[in-house]
Amino acid sequence: MIADYVRFAFNSITHRKLRSWLTIIGIIIGIASIIALISLSQGLQNSVEAQFASFGPDRILIAAKNFQGPGSVVAGITEKDVESIKNIGLFRSVSPALTRQAQLEYKSKIVFWSVFSLPAADYLDSFADFAPKLEAGRQIRKGDKYVVVIGNRVANEMFDKEIRVNNRITINGKKFTVIGIQKESGNRDEDNQIATTLEAAREILNEPVAVDFIITRVKVGQDVEQAAEKIKRALKRERNDENFEVNTPKEIAEQINQVLGIMQAVLVGIAAISLLVGGIGIMNSMYTSVLERTKDIGIMKSIGARNSDILWIFLLEAGMVGFVGGFFGILFGLGISFGVGAFAGQAGFPLLIKANPYLMLFGLFFAIVVGIISGVLPAIQAAKLKPVDALRYE
Amino acid sequence: MNKVIELKDVWKIYKIDSMEFAALRGVNLDILKGEFIAIMGSSGSGKSTLLNSVGALDIPTKGAFLLDGQDVENLSESDLAQVRGRKIGFIFQAFNLVPSLSAIENVMLPMTFQGISRSERIERATKLLDSVGLKDKMRNLPNQLSGGQKQRVAIARSLSNNPEVILADEPTGNLDSKTGEDILNLLINLQKTENKTLIIVTHDEKIAKKADRIAVLSDGQVVKIIKNKK
Repeated sequence: MIADYVRFAFNSITHRKLRSWLTIIGIIIGIASIIALISLSQGLQNSVEAQFASFGPDRILIAAKNFQGPGSVVAGITEKDVESIKNIGLFRSVSPALTRQAQLEYKSKIVFWSVFSLPAADYLDSFADFAPKLEAGRQIRKGDKYVVVIGNRVANEMFDKEIRVNNRITINGKKFTVIGIQKESGNRDEDNQIATTLEAAREILNEPVAVDFIITRVKVGQDVEQAAEKIKRALKRERNDENFEVNTPKEIAEQINQVLGIMQAVLVGIAAISLLVGGIGIMNSMYTSVLERTKDIGIMKSIGARNSDILWIFLLEAGMVGFVGGFFGILFGLGISFGVGAFAGQAGFPLLIKANPYLMLFGLFFAIVVGIISGVLPAIQAAKLKPVDALRYE
Repeated sequence: MNKVIELKDVWKIYKIDSMEFAALRGVNLDILKGEFIAIMGSSGSGKSTLLNSVGALDIPTKGAFLLDGQDVENLSESDLAQVRGRKIGFIFQAFNLVPSLSAIENVMLPMTFQGISRSERIERATKLLDSVGLKDKMRNLPNQLSGGQKQRVAIARSLSNNPEVILADEPTGNLDSKTGEDILNLLINLQKTENKTLIIVTHDEKIAKKADRIAVLSDGQVVKIIKNKK
């Protein structure tokens, strides 16, 4: 019996091909946008989390307020702050860091780029463990001064000629030896990185005490959040202002996730609206279908169709429209997600897009439910038609 | 002879706003098993309303309607549909085939609603279409058939649940006279060989004269019953 209903419903859909497809497209758009937006924001979340996992959970970052990440220049943190933090005594390292724009020259090609620096003695312990591994050469260590470790893209693409280990590049007029080249990480920031020693950086910038931000690493067994609290108190006392920020990886990840959460809610809301419009499209199409087939309904009733038979046929028709729309919507949605993911990856912003089977099932189920709900009213109207009235309908 | 349909003092009153209009005003009519009866009347005489009552498409406002001895008044709409599908085969002036279904699917349709298995439906529908001479048109859609062919499909469909009664509403009204005659002969032949009760609603006296009896309807009442001598 169900098989017959399905056949009737299918027959009715294919009999009005154009209109059916237009309705289905409405659902495709709704489902595709929901799938794409959820996959993309999940991918964004995945990559943010992956990045913070690599940053190391025992790090605390101290910067002047409104510090916008490497590359921006904000004063406010001083060597005194470094000393205050060291005095707390909870840290295996407290490293002042500089990130400044500098003039780079290699084989007569000149580039302006930001240069990151840490004390030579701290580089290995504070930074090298979460930076990309080396492809060639060695890391910066205690006693080094005019040396750089460079990202993969810096070595291979930034200058006209490729840079090899032991080549020399000129930074602000001073010659530096390239001692290490990082493996390609896919992250544009990392692949474009140029790291040197704080000692050399201060010298070429002619700023002997400059600090942009501080990276600390807590001793084994110490609680990161508690240590961050202590830093805040110590700095407040010493500086007598609150013009600084103390960030733990957890906090940063939470902040970003909060923003992502809001973004996701807004995007899904927009997608839901388009799905609602799609549902109204189904309803409209089903009402038209009922109207168009009033006479057929009369005929079917006169030859023995019960109300439930008619109800089933129309509900299945709406459900099938939802199913087909959901199926293609999922395909399109995933296609869009992977497309945008690949595009963002090329632009240096990797998104970890995954085809989430639960999301796909949810999308399909949701589309069918939207179809059936939109079909209920028209189907009830169809089922309630009196055979006499329906037969008279032209 | 057994009565297959009994109408006892049947009234059908339509309400339009607060106005009441009686389309049937106390119709009494017995239809006997195996007979050929024509229902005649001018337009506005209540012919269509009577047809709806006889065909169990509509429940009378007042009075009793017995189909094969069963009072249908208290049946639910769905049960009534089931009984109708089993006991009455309809043939309409406008053929009323489902346009999206092929000839054989149209013939199978009444059996579908009775829950008959697909293989049995296909077998029976094929046989019926063969018997009305349309074996080679089984897969055609209605719009690929001539008027006469459509009415043959409709006749095959009306027989699919092997009903007691065939109820035809102006079955030749949309056909040319030669085709109309063929269709009429096909119906009369069925009535005779298969012992079906044939009810034809018509205003064509030539058709009515071939019936065993003619019920003449006027102003919502059966005013005359004429027995034709054979």
